[in-house]
This record gives sequence, structure tokens and C-alpha cells, in this order.
Amino acid sequence: MSETVKRNNPLFWLIDPMRSTASQADPAYRYSWSQMAWMLPLAIGIAGLVVSAVGWATNSQQFYFSYLIGWAFCLALTVGAYFFVIIQHLTKARWSVVIRRIPETLIWSFPLLAVLGIPVLLGMHDLYHWTHHDLFDPTSENYDAVLAGKESYLNTPFFLARVAFYFIFWTFISFKLYTLSVRQDNDPDPAIPKLQRKYSAIGLGVGAIVVSFAAFDILMSLDPHWFSTIFGVYFFAGSFMSIMAVMILVSITLQKNGMLKNEIKLDHYQDLGKFLFAFTVFWAYIAFSQYMLIWYGNLPEETVWFRHRMEHGWEGYSAVLLLGHFILPFMLLIGRWGKRWLPYLGFMAIWMLTMQWFDMFWLIKPVMEAEHASLSLYDISSWFGLFGVFAAAFMYRFSRHALVPQRDPRLHKSLSFTNS
Amino acid sequence: MLNQIASEVKATMSIYEAQEDALYGVVAEFAHPGELLHAAGAVREAGYRHFDTHSPFPIHGMDKAMGLGNSIIGFITLGGGIIGLSLATLMQWWMSEVSYPINISGKPFFAVEPSIPIMFELTVLIASLSTVIGMFALNGLPRPYNPLFYSTNFLRVTDDAFFLHIAASDKQFDLGATQKLLKDLGGKNIETIRDSGEED
Repeated sequence: MSETVKRNNPLFWLIDPMRSTASQADPAYRYSWSQMAWMLPLAIGIAGLVVSAVGWATNSQQFYFSYLIGWAFCLALTVGAYFFVIIQHLTKARWSVVIRRIPETLIWSFPLLAVLGIPVLLGMHDLYHWTHHDLFDPTSENYDAVLAGKESYLNTPFFLARVAFYFIFWTFISFKLYTLSVRQDNDPDPAIPKLQRKYSAIGLGVGAIVVSFAAFDILMSLDPHWFSTIFGVYFFAGSFMSIMAVMILVSITLQKNGMLKNEIKLDHYQDLGKFLFAFTVFWAYIAFSQYMLIWYGNLPEETVWFRHRMEHGWEGYSAVLLLGHFILPFMLLIGRWGKRWLPYLGFMAIWMLTMQWFDMFWLIKPVMEAEHASLSLYDISSWFGLFGVFAAAFMYRFSRHALVPQRDPRLHKSLSFTNS
Repeated sequence: MLNQIASEVKATMSIYEAQEDALYGVVAEFAHPGELLHAAGAVREAGYRHFDTHSPFPIHGMDKAMGLGNSIIGFITLGGGIIGLSLATLMQWWMSEVSYPINISGKPFFAVEPSIPIMFELTVLIASLSTVIGMFALNGLPRPYNPLFYSTNFLRVTDDAFFLHIAASDKQFDLGATQKLLKDLGGKNIETIRDSGEED
């Protein structure tokens, strides 16, 4: 590691493993905004978490479910960023280099998310029905033959070991990709792009399986009788869609505040908009593939999952998801003009992020209250709380380094990128 | 009137008609793509609309220099998609509800769920077919006869030469002035093409 790029002290490692290199950044790529950029989200985050803490004290089951929704939302964003960075390296993408630092910074949220995930583990008994021991006891009146058959997979020690493995793996790949890129800013080592590709290849192959199983374990096992092999792809589709929205929003915010004014062009936005549109459609494609097979097969243990989401008021939420996550955005994002008109594109990005949260809500909340559809204050406060802290850590880390990978060999191609 | 509209539509496909004296237009050769790009912009700025550029490979920025704007192909695709979606819905409903209703494990005769894949596929099929057909139509293809082929020099266009052609049907066209403009822009081997509609 070169003299100019040093590791951070271990206490700070969770936020940023590298010492700040902002002073060595090219002036055009230097962060020039006030500290409010991370203090404001942090304040909102702490306020949200304080409100959620009240929920924990008064209605802990509600709190755990709300917390899991917010946490899954942040996890989905990070997973989306993880795959985006990997794909850019593996395809040697040129267009995206100027915006790549945004997802690159975001992937270092995995260790923070692991810490923020501790309340989920504390609430496992409330969240995950299969943690109840009497289900596996043939003499108990709660004995469940189906779940007893799944005991070798769905048991607490193995679950904890799997989740630990997922986070260690994600953190490892993210550490490599993040630090290699930050190192490259001041260290013109020609071996770096090759190393980035190497870790991306591992990250893609193993990561695809890891993300799928993470979705099975963290979200699908909330309803332990139900199963769907496409569920991991469903989770990926939403997360890849939402990272596009984040990149659009961060780029717009940076440019509003006078950074990267000439570097990020409408052509970049248009391509991000195309991706946002494409993965809105891909999400619908996957969601429908899951739905149609279950509808056709009509097996009770599969249909019950959709049945829970189609009665007792949940049918309204399902309709909102279908309209807001696919039908309306499909029509609103299909045109070229909308992707090149930034206020509109920014609005659509916020819309799609909200819908991504709503999707997580729709997956998780009916497990708690299948008989009574409701949106709790704590659902919102946990979302704002966790996303606030998450966004604050992201913005703070982002402000500590150059805003683009300034020595990337393909940067000049990205700067002169046009798509018309 | 109708003839005029027809010839204007054909001009957007770069099919130009010869004038009364069989004058079809002027073609000039340029040394490299950069020169051709510059010449195309200059010809457009001089007020010409009925002109076209020819090169062995696509040149970046040429559509902008020629002032071509965005293609309407997207709307043709959209139209094809809507037609495909409506046809598939109608077909699914008619087949399963009217023509040949079968009870399959108690499901409704016509249901949206199993019809969506067919609706999706037909939407994509008709949309993509209309895109291809629309693209050919907008480009005036296939086009077996082009008066530019009367010039032997022009045949090098698929090999190593870059040409700009201004049609005589352009309102601005004036044989002497147009030739001078092309010469000033650096055009070489300026030829006047005549098209009598007969074999040589």
C-alpha cells in the first residue's frame, strides 16, 4: 500500500476502513459541500430510532417487524450497489466510471448493517416462527410435522452461522473493491483493475448464491411453511432497481451543490433512467413468474402466502404495490424525455425507492398481522431511523475521498460518454 | 398537392426525385470522416434539406450534424405493442371463453393470470416486428435502384470513400452554386448525376 493511502484506525473501520484522501483529490473531484450532508440524515436517523425505541418499550413485536422492514430496505440497497459495482468491473464498463464511486462507497455499508442487524437477532423469537422449540417436539400440542421436517435447516445455530457467513463474505468482497478503488486514486498501480476484476468475479458467482440464500433466510423464512425458489431473484430485482434510484438522487444532489457539474451528463442520467425502467419491469416479470406458477399449481401450502396478502385489507396494499411498483412507473418512465428531465427523473427515483420500501413492507408485515392490515408509525420511524443512519454513514464516507475514481484508466471514456 | 406530399415523405427516406431535365443531384467525395462530418453540418447550415451522406461505416455525431433529430420509430414500436396486447387479450378471451371453453381444475374459463404470458409475448412480437418493418420503411429500404450508382467513383463508398450528395429536388439547389459550395468545403471529384430513368 502506498505512502499516501493508509488504513484507518480500527474504531473507525466500521464507517470507513481508509483514511481520508480528500486533500489529495483532484480539485474538480473534491467534495465541497457542508457537513450538513451527513449531519442532517444522522439527526433524522437518531430521531427515527428514538421513536422506534418507544415502540420497542411498548410493543416489542411491532418494533421488531418494523425494524426488520427498515433494515431489509437498507440491505437491499447495499446488495444492489454490490452487484452494480461488480458488473461494471467485469464488463470493463466505460460509461459508468464517473458515477461508480457512489455505489462503491455504498457497499461498505455491510459491516454497519451487520451491527444494525443485532436487534433483528434479539427479536428472532418474535419474528421467526420456526425458532419456537415446541414445534419440533412430537409430544407438544404445537407440534408441526412440516416444520419438524425442516428442522435441520431452520434452526437457530445454523441460521446464525449462515447469516454470519453472508456478512463476512459481503464485507470481504466489499473491502477489496472499496479499498482497491480508493487506493487507485493516489496509487497508479497498473495491477489494480485486474485485481478488481478478480474479486468481482468471485463476488458475482458466490454472491449470487449468497444473496439468494440471504433472502430465503432473512425474508422468506418469516413464513416458514411457504417456499419459492425464485424468491432470491425477486429480492435482487428490487435491490438492483433501487440502487439506480439512489445513484440518480445522489448525482442530482451533488450537482445541485456544485460538484461534478460537467462530469455527470444527461447521457449518464438517461442510462441510469433506462436501468431504473428496465429493473422496474424485471421486478414485475419475476414477481409475476412467482405468482403465476403458484396460481396455476394451486397447492394450499403455496397459495396461503398470497392469500394472506389478498384479504383482511391487505388486498388494497397489494393493489398499491402492483400499480405503484410496476404499472404507473412503466408508463411514466418509458419515454426518453422523462429520463433526460432531471426534476422528473429525481421524482421518479424517490417514488421507486418508496416503492422498494413498500415492497419490503408487503413481504414482511402480513406475517405479523395476516388478519388485520395496518401501517404502523413504527414502520415509518424505523425506516427513517435506519435509512437516516445508513445515509449519514454513506455521505460521510463519500465526503472523505475523491468523488470519482480519479485514476481509473477508463475515466476519460466516461467523461466523454454520449448515447445519442 | 398529393404528389408534393409524397415526394416530401420520400425525401425523408432520402429517396429524391430527378428534376425535369433528368438532373438528379451533385455528389462530392471527402477525404476522411471528419471532413464529411464538417461538410454535412455546413451544408445544413447553408439551408439544404435534401442531402445525404454516405460512408463505409457509421460516423459518430453524423445524425446531429445532419440535423436528423430523433426517429419516430419509438412510436411505431409503441403502436405495435398496443396492437399486440389488444390482439392477445382478445384471442385469449375468445378461445377460452367463447370458442372452446374447457374446465381445468375448476379455474375460470378466461382468467387474466395464465393469459399474461401470451399477452406479453404477443406485445413483444408485434412491437419488435413493427420496429423492424418501421425501420426499413423510414429508411426507404430495400432500395435496389439508386441513381448515385451511375457514378463509378461512388461505388467506392462501401470500401474507403466518403460522399455527400445534394439532391436537385432541394429548394435551394442551384447547379453552379451547389457545386461551388461543395468545392469550398473540400469536396473532390464533384460529379453531376443525371437520372433519365433509362438504362445507359
